[in-house]
Amino acid sequence: MKVEEKLALNKFDVDKEVHITVNEEGCRDCELKPCLYACPADCFVLREDHITFSYEGCLECGSCQIACAKGAISWTYPRGGFGVCYQYG
Amino acid sequence: MDRFDAIVVGAGPAGCASALVMAKAGLKVLVFERGKYVGAKNMWGGAFFGPQINYLFPNFWEEAPVERLVTRHVISFLTGKGSVSVDFKSTDFGIPPYNGFILLRAKFDLWMAKQVEKAGAILATGLKVDDLLVEGEKVKGVKIGKEEFHSDVVILAEGANSLLTQKAGLRKEFSSEDIKQGVKEVIQLSRKTIEERFNLKGNEGVAMEFVGLCTRGLPGGGFLYTNKESLSLGVVAQLSDLIKNRVKTLDLLEEFKTHPEIGKLIEGGQTVEYSAHLIPVAGLGMIPRLYRDGLLVTGDAGALLLGTGLILEGANFAIASGMAAAETVKMAKEREDFSQRTLSHYQQILKESFVLQDLETFKKAPKFLKNARIYHLYPELIVEMAEKIFRNNGEPRKGTFRMVREVLKGRISIWQLFSDVMKARKAI
Amino acid sequence: MEIIVCIKQILDPDLPPAKFMVDKERNKVIPPEGIPFVINPYDALAVEAALKIKDEKGGKITVITIGDKSTEDIVRKALAMGADEGLIISDTIFEESDSFAVGYILAQGIKKIGRYDLILCGRQAADWDNGVVGSVVAEYLGIPIVTRAKDVKVVNGRVNVERVTTDGFETFELELPALITVSSELGQARLPSGWGIIKAASKEIPIWSGKEIETDISKVGKKASRNQLMRLIIPSYERRCEFITGEDLHEISAKLTSKLMERRIHE
Repeated sequence: MKVEEKLALNKFDVDKEVHITVNEEGCRDCELKPCLYACPADCFVLREDHITFSYEGCLECGSCQIACAKGAISWTYPRGGFGVCYQYG
Repeated sequence: MDRFDAIVVGAGPAGCASALVMAKAGLKVLVFERGKYVGAKNMWGGAFFGPQINYLFPNFWEEAPVERLVTRHVISFLTGKGSVSVDFKSTDFGIPPYNGFILLRAKFDLWMAKQVEKAGAILATGLKVDDLLVEGEKVKGVKIGKEEFHSDVVILAEGANSLLTQKAGLRKEFSSEDIKQGVKEVIQLSRKTIEERFNLKGNEGVAMEFVGLCTRGLPGGGFLYTNKESLSLGVVAQLSDLIKNRVKTLDLLEEFKTHPEIGKLIEGGQTVEYSAHLIPVAGLGMIPRLYRDGLLVTGDAGALLLGTGLILEGANFAIASGMAAAETVKMAKEREDFSQRTLSHYQQILKESFVLQDLETFKKAPKFLKNARIYHLYPELIVEMAEKIFRNNGEPRKGTFRMVREVLKGRISIWQLFSDVMKARKAI
Repeated sequence: MEIIVCIKQILDPDLPPAKFMVDKERNKVIPPEGIPFVINPYDALAVEAALKIKDEKGGKITVITIGDKSTEDIVRKALAMGADEGLIISDTIFEESDSFAVGYILAQGIKKIGRYDLILCGRQAADWDNGVVGSVVAEYLGIPIVTRAKDVKVVNGRVNVERVTTDGFETFELELPALITVSSELGQARLPSGWGIIKAASKEIPIWSGKEIETDISKVGKKASRNQLMRLIIPSYERRCEFITGEDLHEISAKLTSKLMERRIHE
């Protein structure tokens, strides 16, 4: 099962305001790219040599910010009422 | 109206427990929950152990959304060649007040929050607390955008990724060494299929833990819980190991699902939800300061949870700490003193209860559980040993101890093994 | 300025398709357990339109809905946004009422409230998308109506409305009292404030029965229904992806064109 298929099962109320921002300057000289392995929703994707990020499928666990040793990820929870809405949990 | 005795941040087990106890004592309590509804952001493995929910809501199982009772525990060592399991079934665990409950966090927390509202607390959902209101050294309330909310005390029950606890200067930044990541799928299956497949009757349920291949031998494990009409299947692994080994929990879970042992159990099921969460796992060492003037920290936000490999508990610690915080606030209210001197009573209650005592008893567990041999070498040795014992290839048999020596040879020294056993004795 | 806003509780339109289920035999939608219903987004916009008028001119906003006690949540949501009073009309005799009957019930409720200058509704509900109720309410009350408003302003005791059309908008000026249904072009409904939610949480919401609003039983319920639901199905969407390759853009576009032509002919 692909991650997109899994995420499509969840209810998301996606906010227009972005809750995670990635400073791509910091990513350029990052060799390890831990964010790629830390994110359980594959929100970080490596395209050629740079990281692209989308917040829409974020499960709000917070792993990426802890994993990023470059401090390139600024993280907060989405605004109240927005983001993932689990039915089962 | 404009002022509250206590503001609780987060309507999970810790937040609901503290709000309930305070509201029942007649305090003016306001609970903020950032989810669109209570439970929307809450996720866990699946089972609750202990009497704490029953303390809050006597005989709750009669009306609360309990999926199943834990009447069977299975621990399996999993390798590519087979598995060895300990399968414990208890008749006593099926008798009230029961020992363990399989719950779906979102459903159960929604129910708990309703009881909290009935007790008189105000529940405000869809609101994320942005900051604490601090005057001098004292926490005076919380901020949401430009709005301010004042109270005598704030109880943080914001969960594992405790941003406000960090902002309050009570904890350091997390290290990926101290954090595990759990991912889970809820897989729908008919009630009948689950009961047949897992040998269950009525409200009986099983909690299963897996060690070995499910994390590709990395520290962590897999889990499976039987809900009423679904299974909760997931994998837990340490964040630092994922990064070092360039592995994703996403892929571990997919591999886990295709392992023959698991494949059989989930066959025909349909995934209906995918979720993820952090688990702070460094034990005593990562517990932040739990109080300051006008502030208490409870549950996962206080890293109050226990993982020993055999025991994985958090929600009972959350409820117990929430109740302890509430008792402390009641006392502080009587004295009209919310300084850290009075609030330090919270730490005292935790010390006298299982919360900090268990964490003390098992304080060596977090380090012990980082031993990679537990997840890689030992499951293989155990499965090979079983294979040797049960295999009949027509040759004359060897004595069991000779077989053990053969399996161990060149893989691990007797001294290493002995040392690990001694460490385990102290840790778990 | 007395404003009444009619609101409806619906299944969360942001549900992923996987959570949407129907009971084929009973021809009913099965709401996913544990996910609360929400206020119809068009109705939330009607509340927003009312609040804009109140912000400018002052006045009182009453929201009214039909349903059981569970509809309290959406009434509180409107109160949290800034409405002043909430009201639920609830009775078992209303079950399985169609849009015409719902319009009648609301009109009876509004008659009992008595005083009103302006009534606002969503242009339609995002569950069945009928878009009938507003017009029926206006008909029963005998007041003028403009549908699909993108702007509603009260000026000198009259209401100015910009109504969305397929190729722009038209402007109306109406005498009060009047009923306006609000379209998505109005903008975005405000999010409730924290204090709004707290104050709304403890507000009394009266519940009126069918008898209290003097319901004519022959006009409500399944028997009075003018339309009948024949069959409820979840449409299946099939998606295919095909990469068209070629030497150059010219060849690729030629291939694409012929592919498109082919499909036109077949379907």
